[in-house]
Amino acid sequence: MGYEWDFGVVFRDFDLLLLGLVNTLKVTGLALLFGVPLGLILALLRLSRHGVIRIPVGIVIEFLRSTPPLVQLFWLFFALPILTGINITPFIASVVTFSFQSSAFFAEVFRGGIVSIEKGQWEAAKAIGMDRGQSMRRVILPQAVKRMIPAFLERVIELMKTTTLVATVSYADLLYEANTIAQATFRPLEVFTVAAAMYFAVLFPVSLFVRRLERRLGRTGEGTVH
Amino acid sequence: MTELLKIENLNKSFGALEVLKGIDLTVEKGETVVILGSSGSGKSTLLRCVNFMEIPTSGRIAIAGKPVGTERSRASGRIQVDYRESELIGIRATVGMVFQHFNLFPHMTAFGNVMEGPRTVLKLPRGECEARAETYLSKVGLADKMHSYPAHLSGGQQQRVAIARALAMEPQLMLFDEATSALDPELVGEVLQTIRSLADEGMTMLIVTHELGFAYSVASKVLFLSDGVILEQGAPDDVLVRPKQQRTRDFLRGHATYKLPDLAIT
Repeated sequence: MGYEWDFGVVFRDFDLLLLGLVNTLKVTGLALLFGVPLGLILALLRLSRHGVIRIPVGIVIEFLRSTPPLVQLFWLFFALPILTGINITPFIASVVTFSFQSSAFFAEVFRGGIVSIEKGQWEAAKAIGMDRGQSMRRVILPQAVKRMIPAFLERVIELMKTTTLVATVSYADLLYEANTIAQATFRPLEVFTVAAAMYFAVLFPVSLFVRRLERRLGRTGEGTVH
Repeated sequence: MTELLKIENLNKSFGALEVLKGIDLTVEKGETVVILGSSGSGKSTLLRCVNFMEIPTSGRIAIAGKPVGTERSRASGRIQVDYRESELIGIRATVGMVFQHFNLFPHMTAFGNVMEGPRTVLKLPRGECEARAETYLSKVGLADKMHSYPAHLSGGQQQRVAIARALAMEPQLMLFDEATSALDPELVGEVLQTIRSLADEGMTMLIVTHELGFAYSVASKVLFLSDGVILEQGAPDDVLVRPKQQRTRDFLRGHATYKLPDLAIT
């Protein structure tokens, strides 16, 4: 049985797919913008010496990591309005969900990087009279960041793929647009092939970059964390 | 002579493990005190209590005549002291410490490592930090390695950078915690010479080492620590040549099982 491929229908609506891709990048970008600093704050709080800070923050992080992002998104979009009476747009719901969801993962990447730094570095900083904040800023974080980069970029790739879930709350991302076109043209095979190619075109270079970076960091003798 | 460090009835426990059991020690300005003892005797812990890397369980420590912390009570002969972290940070800035594993900051050059304390802790103007870095790197003989990263330096060079880093804070007291134990044998000499030249310049120092020959030649006073107490102390000739205690003799014998004839190294 021969299937007759016809990409013509896809390219007629290609501008819609591009718009979808832009929206996907928009959600991913904003989730990063909020999720990364929030993740760093969560990581530092989880490393606190005080249990009253460390334990609740740990619970929040584990909760965000151990519940499906789709459930979080649905909860925010469908359940929150019932509780509060505030209706939020699919766009806001998506950005908020993925900011929090990714911050938990980033927090663990950051924490992993920070705790991977040898105790001797803390000691040396302390011995010349630095306080904890100075030690963290001047000695620990600059080294930790280098070790975090590959794991961090892996999470970014993961995040962009996970944002496909926003299609389920009718946010017009790439997957949502692809689905709409597929239903209108009865050409799901072509449409989803092109959509996949578009995700690939964005993420594969990132992935290559991560691999090269890992090799380079490996050469200078710096370990990396995952 | 003026008293730079006075330790009275110092105790330190880690949980149920008593590591230091009532240490009394006075160090005069300009003295070089070498602390010997087998592993687990409490030498490192004693050193780390002096700059409060470890907080003493009880006892009093005074630096340059000033008691550190606020005395709370003296129950059953033990002196309880409360410490504020801000005060301890100030103490650490005036007491230099050199570690067994150097602990240089790998993301900074030798120059950056030495400049870091004056810059971040003392908040000196940039020009002065740079001047200090140059002065102290030259002092340890590494003026030509200023812009090298630790990874490109030998162990001996790294340890000398670490010494310069501590000196750049212009401390009143230097602590050496087995500074040559992690070095290849052929690199030990250059680090010992650096420490020796500091002693000659009158730097007050507490040195934990296993290099007995060095201890003999550099120390103004030698302590022998055993099970958390000072078993014996005195001039190098008294402790290292004519020890009174059997345990000191056993320790010295263990370190001198095999010796080269003098001829071999002339």
